[in-house]
Amino acid sequence: MRKWLSREARQASLPWRKALTGAIIAAGFLSPAIAQAAAPAGCAALQAKYPGWKGKTLVNAVNPHTPGYEAIDPKDPSKYVGFDIDLGEQIGECLGFTLTYKPVVFAALLTTLASGQADIVISDIYATKERAKAADFITYSKVFDGVLVAKGNPKKITGINTSMCGAAAAENTGFVEVPLVQDLMPKCKAEGKPEPTLQLYENNANCIQAILAGRADTYVNDVNTVDQAVKANPDKLEKAIAVTIPYSVGIAVPKDKPEFRDAVMAALIEIQKAGIHMDLLKKWELDVNNFKEPDILSAD
Amino acid sequence: MSLFLHYLSLPYLLEGIELTLQVTALGLGGGLILGLVLAWMQLSRFWLPAALARGYAVIFRGTPLILQMVFAYDALPHIGIKLPAVLAAGLALACNEAPFIAEMLRAGVLGVDRGQVSAGQALGMTPAVLMRRVIAPQAIRTMIPAFGNESVSALKNSSLASVIAVQELTLRGTQLASSTFDFFSIFFASGLLYLLLTGAVSAIQLGLEWLLDLDRTTRARRLTDYLPWRRVDLTAKLAFSEKAPLAAEAVAQPEIMPPARLLTRAERAKRAATIARNNVAVAVKDLHKNYGAQAVLGGLDLTVRIGEVVALLGPSGSGKSTLLRCINHLEDWDSGTVRVGGRRLGFRDDGKRLSPQAVANERASVGVGMVFQQFNLFSHLSAKENVAGPLRWVHGMTRLDADRRACELLDRVGLSHRAHALPRHLSGGQQQRVAIARALAPNPSVLLLDEPTSALDPELVTEVLEVIRRLAIDDGLTMIISTHQIRFADEVADRVAFLSAGSILEEGPAHEVLTHPRHPLTARFLSVMQADKALEAVR
Repeated sequence: MRKWLSREARQASLPWRKALTGAIIAAGFLSPAIAQAAAPAGCAALQAKYPGWKGKTLVNAVNPHTPGYEAIDPKDPSKYVGFDIDLGEQIGECLGFTLTYKPVVFAALLTTLASGQADIVISDIYATKERAKAADFITYSKVFDGVLVAKGNPKKITGINTSMCGAAAAENTGFVEVPLVQDLMPKCKAEGKPEPTLQLYENNANCIQAILAGRADTYVNDVNTVDQAVKANPDKLEKAIAVTIPYSVGIAVPKDKPEFRDAVMAALIEIQKAGIHMDLLKKWELDVNNFKEPDILSAD
Repeated sequence: MSLFLHYLSLPYLLEGIELTLQVTALGLGGGLILGLVLAWMQLSRFWLPAALARGYAVIFRGTPLILQMVFAYDALPHIGIKLPAVLAAGLALACNEAPFIAEMLRAGVLGVDRGQVSAGQALGMTPAVLMRRVIAPQAIRTMIPAFGNESVSALKNSSLASVIAVQELTLRGTQLASSTFDFFSIFFASGLLYLLLTGAVSAIQLGLEWLLDLDRTTRARRLTDYLPWRRVDLTAKLAFSEKAPLAAEAVAQPEIMPPARLLTRAERAKRAATIARNNVAVAVKDLHKNYGAQAVLGGLDLTVRIGEVVALLGPSGSGKSTLLRCINHLEDWDSGTVRVGGRRLGFRDDGKRLSPQAVANERASVGVGMVFQQFNLFSHLSAKENVAGPLRWVHGMTRLDADRRACELLDRVGLSHRAHALPRHLSGGQQQRVAIARALAPNPSVLLLDEPTSALDPELVTEVLEVIRRLAIDDGLTMIISTHQIRFADEVADRVAFLSAGSILEEGPAHEVLTHPRHPLTARFLSVMQADKALEAVR
């Protein structure tokens, strides 16, 4: 709590940030209003079309280590907050179900879904063909990654390219960035440079700590996550660059429930039509360019 | 610091403790139950349960707990078992703890002195009574430190439940660190919370050790002696405190009984004539027993009549102890028969072997008492309980009757003033006298004494022999004694049997054999024993 306040105070020292902070706080106050706003008009029709989930309580598996998307609320640790959390609640409201949360490590998100211990995964997970073998995805956001490095970028890293040769990259187990770094290995070798090494951790905080402790040189992840880390440690960390990577973020649902998948997609469309998706991006200070109309990605 | 204190008192983290404790309790409780079953299977007489238990240990001790957690949580639902996360974590922890706890239990059980187990069997205790009254109370005492270890380890291992979404302390800590970036304050706070929990386990362990310390009741052992900075050597102090009452006793009590009178030659002849008319008490026929390729008993025959005292002499390894242990069926043999009071101990009428439980009941009803070289008193029980306990557990006496009988017998062996002492606070001679009282308590028809004075310091031998002498002469008890005390055999035994290499070389009236041995081996053995005596006298 104390820390939270001090951070706000720090932000307030910059005039333009002050305005922004005010906007965020205002948005924070508005958020209950958004959450409690009557569901978009089309939702009544959807509940009639897909009555199977009305009144149910579903389990949303999350990896709550990504502030802005999903993390516990520092002011009330019994709650999860973030863009994904709000979006999930909106979908639930539209289809008539409520959500409870199951926190798991990132690599266990899809296994938890597949074993039936969870019904849905809305946790900033990138939809890839590989992952579509384990679950169906409804994509809802474009992906921009940030390259986190120590202040001053001592290794002069310029992206996921041969500037990473010989560097130690921290990554989360199961993240799509892992194979991207692995793909660099033969390229570095071809240029006669040492290969990058990978350090796999269980969550975001551990990856960031690895850079702070000097164990790793870089950590590539969602740009908002990287920004949050820089904001928390402005003297020690910086974002070297933002890169686009060819994936979309998706909501994962069980492969054997196509009707549920279609219902979630239809609800997402209604939410986007009502402008709620865009409001949520703004509320959570995310780049509105992330916005994406939904598609379904499933295994061939 | 203020952040650290803030997180230390944060209800969100404190609530995590509850789940940590739930998973730990499930793991330890379930592990204990499963561990008991596994230990029982491993100690079983049958090979199949032992092999299954071994196989279980290989799998669950040999794979990481984190995999077992994920398996219980994510794999079991595929076969229709969808446990809530806390139960899945508890199940995995229990399955993982079980083989460790089973090994602790097994070590505890096997660590109990085998001699005490033999003594319990000889008293007619069934395996269940033996386990409950003799083995478990001692094993549990030795297992407490190991169990304390295991509890601390389970408590820490419960943090792995974080991988399957149990909101315990560790998972709450990492999530909080992710959303606040206060990495170290949070981890120090949750570390301290873990320390408080494991500290509480240590305190419980020390408290239990103190509660179950046998010396707590007999002597002033204070709880503070267990504090780590008190350098009280728990064993040395006992040895010291033991001396004091002994010395006092030696002064206060000029040792007990006047010596029994010796029989005259005429009385001996009369006694022999009476015994010859008595029924047979023990009949051993053509007894064969091998240990591997080595023959221990080679066709041994021995008949003992009611009221007769037979001394078994012979060099070490000649089969004296084995013969005694076969007579009350503490050991199996290869061929031949043993009858006590006309019954084949350990076999049904048709020759089939009885279960250990049935053998125990038969031992109790036939009444074969046994006194061992190493005394084999139940070390966790007082002198009185050593005598009274078996009367209650085996013969169903009331506490009042058993206590009365125990007091009477301790009085007879001159130890009523030490009734409440633990065996380890008694001298060897006193322990052996208690052991004799214990063997006599159920009124056995035959008393077997296996070198009853061999483990005693020379100055303590007399008091024990005196007790035995009285039993023979005053009570007319049927006894078979293996001994190296030639003079004692001469005075007490009606008959002497000289064993060599598992069979009887020579037997006959005690005085006759001992003074005029016919077999050269007997003669040589006797002269060696006599020479030893002479040497000792010179020293």
